[in-house]
Amino acid sequence: MNAPAASALPARREGLWSKALHKFSRDRAGLISLVIVLLYTIVALGVWAGLWATEWADVTGTKWMPVSSEYWFGTNLIGQDIFQRTLYSTRTAFEVGLVVAVLATAVGALLGAVAGFFSGSWIDEIALWLMGVLDSIPFYLFVAAIAFALQDNPYAMHVAMISTFWTTVARLVRGEVIKLKSLEYVEAAHAIGVPEITIIFRHILPNTFHILLVQGTITFVAAIKSEVILSFLGLGVKDGMSWGLMIAESTLEVMAGFFNNFLAASVFLFVLVMAFNMFSDALQDALDPKKV
Amino acid sequence: MNPDQAPLLRVRDLVVEFSTEVGVARAIDGISFDIYPNETVGLVGESGCGKTVTGLSILGLIPSPPGKIVRGSIELMGKDLTAIPEKELRDIRGGDISMIFQEPMTALNPVFTIGNQMVDVLTQHRNLTRKQAHSVAIEMLDKVGIPAPGQRILEYPHQLSGGMRQRVMIAMALSCGPKLLVADEPTTALDVTTQAQVLEQIRLLQDEFQMAVILVTHDLGVVAETCDRGIVMYCGSIVESAGIEDLFNHPCHPYTEGLLQSIPRLREKPVDRLPIIPGRVPDLFHLPSGCRFADRCSKVTDRCRQEAPVLQQLTGSTAVSCFNPVA
Amino acid sequence: METLQYILRKLLTGIPLLLGVTFISFLLMVYFGPDKTYELLGKSATPEQIEEVRHQLGYDRPFIARYGQYLKELATMDFGHSDSTGEPVSGLLSRTIPISLALITPGFVLGNLIAVLLALVAAYHRSSWVDRFIMGFSVVGMSISFLIAIIGFQILLSSSYGLNMFPVRGWNMSTVGNYLSYVTVPTLATVFVSLGYNTRFYRAVIVEEMTRDHVRTARAFGIPPARIFYKNILKNSMIPIITRVIFSIPLVVISGSLLIESYFGIPGVGKVTFDAITTGDQPVLKAVVGLTAVLFVLAQLLTDILYRAVDPRVTLK
Ligand SMILES: Nc1ncnc2c1ncn2[C@@H]1O[C@H](COP(=O)(O)OP(=O)(O)O)[C@@H](O)[C@H]1O
Ligand SMILES: [Mg+2]
Repeated sequence: MNAPAASALPARREGLWSKALHKFSRDRAGLISLVIVLLYTIVALGVWAGLWATEWADVTGTKWMPVSSEYWFGTNLIGQDIFQRTLYSTRTAFEVGLVVAVLATAVGALLGAVAGFFSGSWIDEIALWLMGVLDSIPFYLFVAAIAFALQDNPYAMHVAMISTFWTTVARLVRGEVIKLKSLEYVEAAHAIGVPEITIIFRHILPNTFHILLVQGTITFVAAIKSEVILSFLGLGVKDGMSWGLMIAESTLEVMAGFFNNFLAASVFLFVLVMAFNMFSDALQDALDPKKV
Repeated sequence: MNPDQAPLLRVRDLVVEFSTEVGVARAIDGISFDIYPNETVGLVGESGCGKTVTGLSILGLIPSPPGKIVRGSIELMGKDLTAIPEKELRDIRGGDISMIFQEPMTALNPVFTIGNQMVDVLTQHRNLTRKQAHSVAIEMLDKVGIPAPGQRILEYPHQLSGGMRQRVMIAMALSCGPKLLVADEPTTALDVTTQAQVLEQIRLLQDEFQMAVILVTHDLGVVAETCDRGIVMYCGSIVESAGIEDLFNHPCHPYTEGLLQSIPRLREKPVDRLPIIPGRVPDLFHLPSGCRFADRCSKVTDRCRQEAPVLQQLTGSTAVSCFNPVA
Repeated sequence: METLQYILRKLLTGIPLLLGVTFISFLLMVYFGPDKTYELLGKSATPEQIEEVRHQLGYDRPFIARYGQYLKELATMDFGHSDSTGEPVSGLLSRTIPISLALITPGFVLGNLIAVLLALVAAYHRSSWVDRFIMGFSVVGMSISFLIAIIGFQILLSSSYGLNMFPVRGWNMSTVGNYLSYVTVPTLATVFVSLGYNTRFYRAVIVEEMTRDHVRTARAFGIPPARIFYKNILKNSMIPIITRVIFSIPLVVISGSLLIESYFGIPGVGKVTFDAITTGDQPVLKAVVGLTAVLFVLAQLLTDILYRAVDPRVTLK
């Protein structure tokens, strides 16, 4: 039963991925950004494994100590080590970014594929309506609303981001699925009576993987940036440390001329987001079938 | 063809390259040909052999980057189009030389009426007010066989069928009295009956307007019916050029012969399947050093693999680039 | 008449969206939202008092009735009084929305206008160093957090560590001079951050239009570049550009001003919303959510009407 599908599919995908790998390996900006992202990942994993930044919450020094060999980035208002807090926040950012990116992409892929596969039917109508509704609720209000509803659950922020970010993925996947649906091998599978579920999961979704990968990186960036702002506003991370909380702390310090806290958080955030954006661009270029 | 006349267009040793991320692709590799006034020349070859690029080069429309005319000259009545400033070239485009394209569905601007677009072209090249240009445009639409042109001219492209749009393109192309029309597969996107009508229209108008036509096509049947002469391209170069009789009765290049055998026609005995040319077109990044057709040729010799043949005049109207032409 | 009918029909198709938005927000914010009983009564209330207050707050009414009440409030634009200040919500909004508009408009307009210009320059010099420079700049812009841009500009322009030319925070519109001095820093931050995303988007749109077949046709007929630019490229690019601009309005008014207003202490609708979020002021939140949804429906209608002006393929159906 797989004959038409099996013959038409793997060749096309293999070509796309090996070509993409070849192109990516020649993209200098893409490679540099990948290295930077990997460095951050190591930092985050080290924090998670308890290798470093274990004293981020302890008051080890005194107020506003300057940069030194002991306190690489100095200390904050109450004498905590800014370097350790910055590293610890990397873990927070990765945790939020990964959870949100993976789940939002998965939900978006699933609902988008179903909507696209049944395009024109009431299932599609409902999916589109839901996307329109979620896109029309102001983001900060939505986060707050979910935080209310979940009674200050620490994952309220994650849930809110996933509920809003999946719609973009879903729209893209829906469009791609509508295109794929009319391809020969899918129609052939349909004609010989392969169940719809199988068609969606085995024949259609794997072919949208390149979109999901790129959207995943974009969602990761969006989640990290939103986390910082939400935490700053007091709507995000409550216990733990985050660059947003560091910036919130630093607003008092900045007015007094002490910039270490602000700079540490800003620069770490900027470099990570910039590297991820560049990585995402390189990935998109490499996976673009229109470019030779 | 009238050999006493000076050619209208002289293309000499034209080389066009595209630089892509993977490398440089030589889409046109040193082609030379002449077009004489009032003749119809068919430019044939498989898809990707460089027909469109040839047409675009004549008008200086190679998208750049990535494309570039690397070498060669294109002379229109003695003036080298590759060497004149863009502004002068603009007067020639749509004036002395017009080009129509394969995709009538997307070739017109969707947000303006066809009248508006035709008037733009007319006022650009002829000394007319927009009002005068409007009546000329209606006349032209009438000439290409569009019914109720006075009404149609106010419509937007999406309101017309593909055949109608191609007629609009033809009307626009002829409206400024060109000496040469480059028609790039004008009927490929149309259905069969419309195809025949549009081709017939081009032929009628050619007589009326006294212009030369380069008819780009991959359909040898079309060439046989409409052209005085045929130029066969393979992989960026010209393999054979001949008058229509010679081309069809005595094809000299093995590729031309193969193409002719692959056209379906009424035969005395039905055959099981049409002969096809075996093998694949080489890719433009890895061209062989010898003859490009060598790998698919039935008459290949060692010489063909080492040395590239050049186009040579044989007896009669035929020129061929082959060491072992079909006798 | 035909147009009026069309507008009415479009407004009707906006109803499912309104219902969806209000339903979800009602469910989350009001039904599952904070219970105000103990806040009003304290811990040691008698069961009768609790009963009494819950009745006043409407907590004892069935879900449908309470949601219906919300819809009625939305239809009549009467959302009652703010829980925290006691001010009528409609008065609160009509006082603060103009402030937010005055605050947001310059940044929004400049952020889009400059982005379109940069995108045109980049697209015109496609894959040259000019293009690469502009696109590199926009990736940097995309990578800087709005928060950091706000604080950064504040340090540079409003503090004694920088130029110290503008007020640190607050708001004053009494004179044009005052308005300009208060609006500059927020505007710069907004423009800086929105420029990255906008430029990228607009460049992609314009490049796509530049590579269309009809552009090649126009070139093949000797139409001069300026006319091609206007008639083939710009006019066709307007459709996606208009869509993006209009659809970002509803969210920019609320979400965009929320961070700026709460950071700079500007008494606009964003600040009101933020305060309502932190204090759980439900009448205000219900009004803000409902009005944003209405804005979205209106945005949809507006884009449809503008499409028709730009694109002859779109007809009133
Ligand atoms: N814009 C372009 N970029 C890169 N390569 C191109 C471009 N346009 C044409 N080519 C190359 O030129 C060759 C000839 O193309 P074309 O003239 O369109 O063929 P055809 O004979 O089908 O009209 C193609 O095989 C392609 O490799
Ligand atoms: Mg072609």
